[in-house]
Amino acid sequence: MADDIRRWSDELARDPSSLVFLHLGEALRRQGQLEVALKIALRGLERHQRNVAAHDLVARIAVDRRDFPRAFVEWELVLRIEPDHIGAMKGLGYLCFHQGRVEEAEQYLNKAAAGGAGSDVKNALNMLRRTSGGVPLSAVESAVAAPTPVSDRQYLFADQLLDEAQTALLLDATGYVLAGVYLDGDGNNVSSDVGAQLSGISDEVRRAARQLDLGDWKAITFETHAAVFAMAPVVQDNLIVIAASRATPLGLLRRLLERCGAFAADWLAGTTPENK
Amino acid sequence: MTSPFTAVLDVLTRQRGVRASLIVSERDGVIVDSSLRVGVDGDRIAALAASLYRKARLSAHAAQLGAVSFLQLDAERGRICAVGGGGDLVIVVVTDPQANVGLIRMELLKAFESVA
Repeated sequence: MADDIRRWSDELARDPSSLVFLHLGEALRRQGQLEVALKIALRGLERHQRNVAAHDLVARIAVDRRDFPRAFVEWELVLRIEPDHIGAMKGLGYLCFHQGRVEEAEQYLNKAAAGGAGSDVKNALNMLRRTSGGVPLSAVESAVAAPTPVSDRQYLFADQLLDEAQTALLLDATGYVLAGVYLDGDGNNVSSDVGAQLSGISDEVRRAARQLDLGDWKAITFETHAAVFAMAPVVQDNLIVIAASRATPLGLLRRLLERCGAFAADWLAGTTPENK
Repeated sequence: MTSPFTAVLDVLTRQRGVRASLIVSERDGVIVDSSLRVGVDGDRIAALAASLYRKARLSAHAAQLGAVSFLQLDAERGRICAVGGGGDLVIVVVTDPQANVGLIRMELLKAFESVA
């Protein structure tokens, strides 16, 4: 952990716009260095104002500092940007419960459970229902304390990309998002829509390459008026998709594709630190 | 027989590693004009490349990513490059894997400007 913190600090010093502040802030929070964690998170938030993970991080640090009003504001912001964010629902559930607003707490936790939150939330919810609010605070608190795996997966490629305008998505063979995130110009998470649409191209690509006797396809790149995209197969028919601004040279885009593809393959095989 | 597109296609076909260059109708996948190496099946390329370009265009549009202007498919034994611009005509080039794609892309975009 100490090595990671040193590495992330160096990286952030080299590139203050890097999203690595998310990892660094979370690591410092877990170590209990709350003031430093808050400073790092707020500095990152200044540069990435619509980044939901940054707001989520500030909220969790605020909870640890017992600054509940701030946590409330941050998680509400998260839900405004990304209405399905499980971490924010869990957090708001906890805060409502803490303030004795049991019904609202139950609503948030219900939504989090429906959105795929882990068994910790379901357990807290069951206890809440059984005891009409008489559940120990620690039970709800522990449900909130765990970072949301979905949120972590969204930023899986953050260290592989060079700036915030670049995004990477890992899709399974059916077009569902496995990791990564795609935000539109307004900061909305449109990963599922983009993933579903783009994965449909791969069938066409496979067909064309086979019928024209070109062998297995390795990558497809296309430019649109808004951006440039590159897509390649990763083990077992999964797909890695990279998007970047139109100004990105295609050669650089291909390098990013190779890098993220290799990282995704390792992640799927369970050999990256994020998977351990 | 020469067509208004012959000169454009000849420039593309002269590039190193180009096996075929075609102007195809995206809508129905048929050849408008072509310049092919001996033994290359132009009809098959036209149908598949038009279909691929169309799929990319529709997918990008549905995902609100804007219109596709250039597309490049890399495979083990060759590449397909295509340019279009919202109309029905798409220029397609099939190359060897070692071809200089940067150069071909430039020529394709130039060719499309003169065709559009």
